[in-house]
Amino acid sequence: MIIRDLDTLNDIRQTRLNRLLRSRPRIGVGMGTCGVGNGAQTVYDALAEALVEKGLDADLEPVGCFGFCAVEPLVNVYLPGRPLVILAEVTPEDVPHIVDEIADGRVPTTKALCRIEEWDHLTGEVRFGRGLSEIPLWNEIPFFQGQQKIVLRNCGLINPERLDDYIAVGGYFPLYQALHKPGGDQIIEEINKANLRGRGGAGYPTGVKWNLMRKAKADTKYMICNADEGDPGAYMNRNEIESDPHMLLEGMLIGAYATESNKGIVYLRAEYPLAVQRLEKAVQDAREAGLLGERILGTSFSFDVELVEGAGAFVCGEETSMIASLEGRAGRPRPRPPFPAQSGLWGYPTNINNVETWCNVPVIVSRGGAWFAGVGTPNSTGTKVFSLVGKVKNTGLVEMPLGAPLKNIVYGIGGGSPAAKRIKAVQTGGPSGGCIPAKHFDTSVDYESLGALGAIMGSGGMVVMDEDNCMVDVARYFLEFTHSESCGKCIPCRVGLDEAVRILRKICDGEADMADVDKLEELAPMIRDASLCGLGQTAPNPVLTTLRYFREEYEEHIRARRCYAGVCEKLYLSPCENSCPLNMRIPAFLELLKEDRLEDAAEMVWLDNPLPASTGRICQHPCESQCRRGDEDAPVNMREVHRYIADTVFDGPLMERVRARLLEDRFEATGKRVAVIGAGPSGLSAAFYLAMLGHEVIVYEERDEPGGMLRYCLPEYRLPKDVLRAEIDVLESLGIRFEYGQTLGAGLSLDSLEQDCDTVFLATGTWNETRAGCTGEDAPDVWHAITFLEQVALGAPPSVGERVVVVGGGNAAVDSARTAVRLGAKSVTIVYRRERSDMPAIAEEVYDAEAEGVEVRFFLSPQRVVTDNDGHVKGIELRKTVPGEFDASGRRTPVSTDEILKLPCDLVIMAVGEKPDPDPLRRAGIHVRDNYTAKVDWMTYKTNRPRVHAGGDLVTGASNVSATMATGKAAARAIDRILMGEDRLDRVLKVFTYENRVPLEPEGGDRQVARHRAPDDRKNNFEEVMLGYGAEAAILESRRCLRCDVKEQCAVKGGTS
Amino acid sequence: MSVREEAPLSAEQVDEVIERFPGRTGDVLRILETLQEMHPLKYLPEATLKYVAERKGLALSNVFSVVTFYSFFNLNPQGRHTIMVCRGTACHTRGSKLLLDGLMSESGGSANGDDASSSFTTPDHELTVRTVACFGQCALAPVVSVDEDIHGHMSDLKLKRMVRGIVKREAKDDNS
Repeated sequence: MIIRDLDTLNDIRQTRLNRLLRSRPRIGVGMGTCGVGNGAQTVYDALAEALVEKGLDADLEPVGCFGFCAVEPLVNVYLPGRPLVILAEVTPEDVPHIVDEIADGRVPTTKALCRIEEWDHLTGEVRFGRGLSEIPLWNEIPFFQGQQKIVLRNCGLINPERLDDYIAVGGYFPLYQALHKPGGDQIIEEINKANLRGRGGAGYPTGVKWNLMRKAKADTKYMICNADEGDPGAYMNRNEIESDPHMLLEGMLIGAYATESNKGIVYLRAEYPLAVQRLEKAVQDAREAGLLGERILGTSFSFDVELVEGAGAFVCGEETSMIASLEGRAGRPRPRPPFPAQSGLWGYPTNINNVETWCNVPVIVSRGGAWFAGVGTPNSTGTKVFSLVGKVKNTGLVEMPLGAPLKNIVYGIGGGSPAAKRIKAVQTGGPSGGCIPAKHFDTSVDYESLGALGAIMGSGGMVVMDEDNCMVDVARYFLEFTHSESCGKCIPCRVGLDEAVRILRKICDGEADMADVDKLEELAPMIRDASLCGLGQTAPNPVLTTLRYFREEYEEHIRARRCYAGVCEKLYLSPCENSCPLNMRIPAFLELLKEDRLEDAAEMVWLDNPLPASTGRICQHPCESQCRRGDEDAPVNMREVHRYIADTVFDGPLMERVRARLLEDRFEATGKRVAVIGAGPSGLSAAFYLAMLGHEVIVYEERDEPGGMLRYCLPEYRLPKDVLRAEIDVLESLGIRFEYGQTLGAGLSLDSLEQDCDTVFLATGTWNETRAGCTGEDAPDVWHAITFLEQVALGAPPSVGERVVVVGGGNAAVDSARTAVRLGAKSVTIVYRRERSDMPAIAEEVYDAEAEGVEVRFFLSPQRVVTDNDGHVKGIELRKTVPGEFDASGRRTPVSTDEILKLPCDLVIMAVGEKPDPDPLRRAGIHVRDNYTAKVDWMTYKTNRPRVHAGGDLVTGASNVSATMATGKAAARAIDRILMGEDRLDRVLKVFTYENRVPLEPEGGDRQVARHRAPDDRKNNFEEVMLGYGAEAAILESRRCLRCDVKEQCAVKGGTS
Repeated sequence: MSVREEAPLSAEQVDEVIERFPGRTGDVLRILETLQEMHPLKYLPEATLKYVAERKGLALSNVFSVVTFYSFFNLNPQGRHTIMVCRGTACHTRGSKLLLDGLMSESGGSANGDDASSSFTTPDHELTVRTVACFGQCALAPVVSVDEDIHGHMSDLKLKRMVRGIVKREAKDDNS
């Protein structure tokens, strides 16, 4: 039917609305490419079959994508008079239930994501129905909070393959309005009033562009839609076309009328077959309805649209390149002027706008420019659709008013990291954009603010990156992309990018020096300033921003030859090894154990980590979060295996043989003497490596026994003292001397040590408590966790009374709570001011504490300790907090409320942090930072005193056992290099040969569960809780390794490397 | 397993395609796209390029400039099955380089940096491994396509299993 007048348009609308809203149930399945990729087609087919089987009179139709890609397939169900309900993650198994419910006249609510009672399509409103308040409204769920759907106004709600669906929600009425009321000038005036800026990236004012076009006089004028969405990581244009193709056509029609153009072209990526298909259908339907072609809607205006598929070239997004491509040539840009509005396709006036720019046009005509300008910020009006992807929980298409803070998008809508990792940056604008570091997430997302950070809005790609992403690799990735997509016409881009890529590859391979960074810094602005088109001019942005915000990563790659993110493969053995602060060669010791070479395995474990039994019990095991076996079923329990190796050696005759091997591995005496101050894990680790390198080592310790916090703060039930003692005995047998009762500044002086020794290594740790800052903190029954645990370790535990409250969320809090349980407290409560997922404590420890009866309460911050007249603790007053704004770590800052909770108790333990004691350092002339840690050079661990190095928690602040041991190991390497003039540590580490075979299929079965004592057997004593693996379990577990360290192998041929 | 013919398309076939696009926008591109799709090995043999240049009155260098510019065009025969690894940013941040390297070593090829045109075809023309700049399926990253079916949330092991599945199925089909 040809639509010539408003009545026909209204008739179509009313007929369709009656069908949609009044007559029968309607099921819409989200069938965008992403929905189909998640199984929407099988859901659709199952629904179709079930409806027939049930004989149910319901409409089943494909709809577009509602934006929440992470929980697709999305299915929306509407029963007349009820709210529209959107179901998420629907599988074919859910179908019978859905159909049964509908047949019984009920809205299916299992798997309901949200409900919609009414929807403003902006060109028209639809009222569904009220009720079902147990299901949240769409904009009440975090993913949609703060979103405003202008471009995506119809996406996921209408059938993109039906013209009458688009008309039903008010589509093509703005076109009618435009053709019948204002002239072209007035439309452009509204676009100007709206301050609409190009959504393709550069943000050029659309009205200004159209005005030029309108003024150009010719018998043929081209209106082009740029749908060559080439930014890898952005897919909003795909969804806009797939979900609502008519809004694009309507926008182009209005633009053509306003600029008196008669020919339209949509240049669409061939990689988007579904978008091509839906747009083709839309064009055909529009033609049949007289909305494209001659005398549109009964006026004298004529316009038609042709579809052209791109053949895969990023540079064709640049307008002059696109024109070349449309003319059948290689898509190389040319200098402007002449601008396309003067001389474009085949020499005719041409105007090119991005898909999303066009999609805004019908709304501006319908609602007016002033309305549109009221959304967003004065300079960046309206909304922008972002594709929020990468390392974020809720991936999808997000439409936000411009000016929203970045952190609300990443942490609020995106829900932060899916794997509890630290989010590092967001990359916006694709290859032309930049990386914005987390510390700038307060930034408002608008054209100017992003530009000020060196990034761009671009087409709206937002790729979230976490600690596992290497920023040097990201720069390399983008430059390899722009380099390979460079058309080669101008030299700055062609040759400049080639050189930049070469340097970046060198850095990633660990073969660069710092002069290469200087060269990169010189090259990047040259490419930016001298290139012919946007591709070259913006290509250096990823390098410039990563250099600006992540320079330390470049330095780590170059100076330390390390890629801590574990991306640059040439710089590490395997992901587990790279994530291990001590760089234990994990796949190797697993393989040695598997090959029944326990002695070799033990030797290697000791060489890599001189406290393998202790760390085997208490390490935070970052290796597990990197283990690729985790993608398959569960990560390999590497920590338990090296604990097994160490324990087995101690339990049997092997210890003497391993000790003899270590003595054999020790280098010849160098005649150099090193003093280590502090016998904690960092000092012990430095002492071990320095001794192995042939130096004479004396360890000075303030307390009566070695081990530092491992000895005095780690409870016996986690780390038995005799295990630690046995490990230190091994160190002693390597010739390390220990002197106890030696305190820095009181008897022990740096000046005299410097005279006696070649080098001094300071590792005195963090023994000063951080105060909670609440009233009554100094009462006698208020303990700091460190002091409390130390008293217990010394065998003089304080009396805990019946009820204990522990303040804090870290490991010291959990250790204190579990210790209090063992000391006989009847009730132990941990209070923490944030939520559970924010607790820094090891999750297994929290779980074990709760199993022992410890209660953990959240959103409580200490206000006042209540004491009686004698000063005895009677209770604690806690202020309730609520989660506030996201902070730089992506956690919500606790905000105090007026509500106070009183907990009666007899003892309070404050576990809110530790820091170093700065006084002895200052007296010894060591420079100290604001947080009281010692100031060192990160590569050499050198302090300002030339022969004094420092490491451990003293320089990092409170950390964990393996991290602190790692600084000892690194400092030993640096000290030895300075003393001996060469880097010798790797030679101590010894090379073992073993089989290098990658299992074709995962072996070893399920992850082995370590033996442990049940809560009732353990909570009344200090016996060790975790009992480790037996031989069989350890070997099975080691067989689970996928051998990511083996890089060269042709698995199909079954060869070994 | 038989290696399929590497023959050019017949003059009649090419003529028919050229006539389908009489002087429309970007016609050379469309002609070449259509011809490549028609070829059983999904590529443009040199003889075909020469013939198109002659018929369209273009210098062969112009036609060659077009086919080497766009990543869509293949100058070498493609495999019976094609696996495309998406190298978009979201996929990259979720480890698609690892997938590509693993796949290349599995099929006996070697990854050639991140060149968008990097592709490898097994000598028996059974399998082609190539990259694509972005499928626009970023929410499912990392993504691969196997003969145009999209598979999201891919892992190294899953992908290798799929390849082995294809190889095995083919071997069975050829024996039966």
